[in-house]
Amino acid sequence: MRIACSFCGERELGEFTYLGDAKPVRPEAGASEDEVFDYVYLRDNVAGATSEYWYHGGGCRAWLKVTRNTLTHEISSIEPAAGAGAAKVGA
Amino acid sequence: MVEFSWVSRSPLEHALVTGTDGARGIEAGISLTEIRNFDLIQVMARRGQAAELGQAAKARFGVAVPDAPKAVRTSDATLIWSGPDQFFVLSKGGKHTMQTLEPALSGSLSDQSHARVLVSISGAKARTMLAKLSSIDLHPDAFPVGAAAATSMDHTSVTLWRGGDRTDGQAVFNVLMFATFAESLWHTMLDSGAEYGVDINHTERLA
Repeated sequence: MRIACSFCGERELGEFTYLGDAKPVRPEAGASEDEVFDYVYLRDNVAGATSEYWYHGGGCRAWLKVTRNTLTHEISSIEPAAGAGAAKVGA
Repeated sequence: MVEFSWVSRSPLEHALVTGTDGARGIEAGISLTEIRNFDLIQVMARRGQAAELGQAAKARFGVAVPDAPKAVRTSDATLIWSGPDQFFVLSKGGKHTMQTLEPALSGSLSDQSHARVLVSISGAKARTMLAKLSSIDLHPDAFPVGAAAATSMDHTSVTLWRGGDRTDGQAVFNVLMFATFAESLWHTMLDSGAEYGVDINHTERLA
């Protein structure tokens, strides 16, 4: 698998580290225990398109948000993760 | 009390033995030259201030700083892209140091002069040898003079860029690596180049 880093172009998988699901959103302070449990522990095991974070640690050290199909490994979109590494990206 | 001598020494002082390595009886296909005693400052824009840093850097260096993987030569320095909104300033002789750059640039600066090792690779077999270490396409069409990449070699992060060609027309690839990984990567480079014959040197001159 190759990932086209938004800053470096296409690179081999070995330069990247997988962080995980990009979908969970941190609950507001004061959220219920169930909501926090869900945010911290529960993940969907999707067969199809997923949104996930990848770190280009072996390259430009930027965080990327990648939409990848878990069945085919086809990557349909890649964008810099918000506020992660790139000053040009909105916080 | 123990007396210390704070003389700066190359991390490759022991590993680098000038002369020839690998295949004998043929003209060496690889030339490995360590460049010593350089000034290297990493400059990073603060969040949302890339444009301001770009303007300040242009005023200082007279050229636009690289905003894509490229290395740009100025009259007395090389500006090398190292990631989004960040670049290295590589120079010699104390022209661009923390003291001189900090008042001129608005970003976050960090002195990396003694934290990196710079090795320049050239020769007829340089691309063949580098192909064993790097997954970057180094064909002249894909990686011309001034092209740069933040990438990995042998699982070690490096900054790679193509400098000006040698006087005999051979391409020159510069590799900037972490000081503590340099000895390991140096041996890997020697092993990769052994079958072509390697000429080993070190210099104080920044090409």
